[in-house]
Amino acid sequence: MSKPHAGVLEVAGLSIRYTSRTPAVLAVDDVSLTVAPGQCVGLVGESGSGKSTIGAAVQGLLTRETHVEADGTVRVDGVDLDVTAEAGWDGVRGHRVTTVFQDPMSSLDPTMTVGRMLTRVTGSKQESLRWLEAVEIRDPGTVLRAYPHQLSGGMRQRVMIALALARGPALLVADEPTTALDVSVQAQILRLLTRERERLGCGVLFITHDLGVARAMCDEVAVMRHGRLVERGPAATVFGAPAEPYTQRLVASRLTLSTDRQRPIGLPDPTVLTAMRETGAAPDDLEHRWERGDLHWSSFTRERTEVRGGHTLELAGVTKSFRTGGLFGAAHKTVLTGVDLRVARHQSVALVGESGSGKSTILRIVAGLETADAGDVYVDRTQGAGVQVVFQDAGASLTPWRTVGQLLAERLEDLPKKERDQRVRLALERVALDPALAGSRPGQLSGGQRQRVAIARAIVVPPALLLCDEPTSALDVSVACSVLNLLNLLRHELGLSILFVTHDLAAARIIADRVDVISDGTIVEQVPAASMSTDMTSEYGRRLLDAVLA
Amino acid sequence: MLRFTVRRIASLIVVLFALLVLVFLISRYGGDPVRGYLGANASADAVAAMRTRLGLDQPIWVQFADYLSRLARLDLGTSLATRRPVAAELAQRIPATAELALWTVFFSVLIGILLARVYTLKSRFSGVLRLILFSAASAPAFLIATGGVLIFFVQLHWLPVSGRTGYGPSTGLSGMYVLDGLLTGNLPYAMDALRHLILPALAASLGPGVALARVLADGLSTSLRSAYARTARSLGETESAVLRRHGLRNAASPALSLLGVQVGMMLSSLVVVEQIFSWNGLGQFLVRAIGGADTATVATISLLLGAFYVVVNALVDIALAVVDPRVRLS
Repeated sequence: MSKPHAGVLEVAGLSIRYTSRTPAVLAVDDVSLTVAPGQCVGLVGESGSGKSTIGAAVQGLLTRETHVEADGTVRVDGVDLDVTAEAGWDGVRGHRVTTVFQDPMSSLDPTMTVGRMLTRVTGSKQESLRWLEAVEIRDPGTVLRAYPHQLSGGMRQRVMIALALARGPALLVADEPTTALDVSVQAQILRLLTRERERLGCGVLFITHDLGVARAMCDEVAVMRHGRLVERGPAATVFGAPAEPYTQRLVASRLTLSTDRQRPIGLPDPTVLTAMRETGAAPDDLEHRWERGDLHWSSFTRERTEVRGGHTLELAGVTKSFRTGGLFGAAHKTVLTGVDLRVARHQSVALVGESGSGKSTILRIVAGLETADAGDVYVDRTQGAGVQVVFQDAGASLTPWRTVGQLLAERLEDLPKKERDQRVRLALERVALDPALAGSRPGQLSGGQRQRVAIARAIVVPPALLLCDEPTSALDVSVACSVLNLLNLLRHELGLSILFVTHDLAAARIIADRVDVISDGTIVEQVPAASMSTDMTSEYGRRLLDAVLA
Repeated sequence: MLRFTVRRIASLIVVLFALLVLVFLISRYGGDPVRGYLGANASADAVAAMRTRLGLDQPIWVQFADYLSRLARLDLGTSLATRRPVAAELAQRIPATAELALWTVFFSVLIGILLARVYTLKSRFSGVLRLILFSAASAPAFLIATGGVLIFFVQLHWLPVSGRTGYGPSTGLSGMYVLDGLLTGNLPYAMDALRHLILPALAASLGPGVALARVLADGLSTSLRSAYARTARSLGETESAVLRRHGLRNAASPALSLLGVQVGMMLSSLVVVEQIFSWNGLGQFLVRAIGGADTATVATISLLLGAFYVVVNALVDIALAVVDPRVRLS
């Protein structure tokens, strides 16, 4: 069926419009790209760039949508297809082109066993077992009888890969396949995908917002913005010497273990520049100095009169277990065992660990959302107004019907109105939000703006301790970059003590003075962030380090 | 699954026992049974004698043990209203109410599924229908019942509106007339009983049915827009296979939970519906017992209705566990 030299995916002049709104939204604008057999092409871009729409279109997932119009041609494995009509997709979708989706939790039917799903595709139980072995699942017999919720995220994604590859497709669309996974699991899944691609010789369209992943996986990359392809070429060229300003900014925003910690990260960013100017401590030619790499965080450090020393946070022998189960057969699951953790005054500590390691439980205990079963929790409240938390999902942590101004003023209720307004203004300026936004509601803001509102609310009265729970992991790279810069600015300017919970070592290294690694409810090591990559010795820590893509 | 079922039944037994205790306490302290029997003007001696006869001078746990043992022997006392043994009264009325309740549940599910289908149609007609039905569902059962009587009996003379049959009590064993008619091969009898059933059952099932339809339609549209449905499509499943294999089962859980709750509401509307349609069931009996301050009978009927509700919800939970593995395995 496929012609020898043709690509398994040929897209030419593809434009896709969503007409449900007036004016129609042009999601994809005149995009052309080709994926050759055995080749991995990365489609890179931030949210709203149109990359996922292309992904859905080439799998024929837009044919049932009523408000979609398209121009241009799409050819999958030699078959010309209309992305808006069902005709012709039969036998192509699910056979010649298959997909690995982002979130393996919701992408597998919770009411069906893995075996039932897989055997529907493979045809026999033996084949299903063979495929589970192929995707490196250790106990395939058990997994075959298991339901998705009984498997870990990594296992579910392996099952998803087995489902997608079992019919031997010519083209595999990988739509953010590792975004919802822990870093060390991500590395395994990427290796598996590469190996299977080489074994089966299928072309891969790899959709991701993560430049590190794209660089590690792809032969060629296409960078998208606002529906257009802004740059394409071999991965090494695009990432090594990006030609377009947008690509340059994206590449500069990417964090690695060798990113300079002393200086703002990424390219000069108007948001962060504004906030820097507001501090009054900024040197004159701010933007140029940043560009030249001559701008150091230390220039924003305020003179502090109080004596150094002492701790803002002390945890000693903290233990926590949760009760699971109902009226009968209750069980206790131990989450933390004897955790000792100190955050010194003005110090920033990153707590690093995988899902289920107990890092979020520590944060919840410090925030007072949970109580420890045993051990001491001490917060030095003389340093500021208690403990404030910035959560991963800022959208969910902001009350939707209150305005930004009201949300910020919540913590200022005993002040006279005039002073309150001024403090709100100041807090918004510190995170470089236009004070005019005080009248908006969270729903009207972008993800990055919402996260900055959450930070502004936390610092409107400087807290003794700022807790951050993966504040950047749900954000686009460039937005995450500004949030990290803003946090760093606040840290130096206000001398905030920060406890930063994350699974991303590269981000931890930027924001923290010290990195604590937690595994199975115990802190296994504490190393200075500056020399993290050499000092980290625990097996678990090394594994996390290896998982960070260079 | 077995483990879940056993655990659910164990907790059901605990709840049933609590219900027993509660009903016992209400029957002892909810009113004075002696005054009920003897009237307000009885002499002190007579009251004392009656108290001894009824065992009310015994300690409370002895009374409770006595209550349990009489319950086990189905000795439920004498109804003040009819002066007949309560057990005999119940034996006659339980099948009547059971039959009505079963058909009500059946109609609710039928209306639910049919309407859910209408909801998913994208036409102006379905919007209008939705509005009408939504209003209908907001009306209490007695209003729908009265409206039904006016239209189908008074105006159209299509359906009977009083009693369970035009022929007389069934000769079958179950006491459920439609079933008895079918079992004895007496088809006209079954049809007649069914005609008598339609209006009361519909009156009680319209509200729950529409509610069920909304939840079912919501569930279906959510599960058809879900990520796993997208996965299924991307694996080449046809739209009808996606609906059949993934949509229905995932949409069933919230609908089942709702049905469990609705059964409770249905029971209370059946009490009213039985009055309107002169249905000689538990509801009517309950109303008479309340009117006659017959505390013991009221307590017994409450116990029955409560037990029915608790058992139905246990069954719903077990059904949920069958449908959704996360319930039984978590």
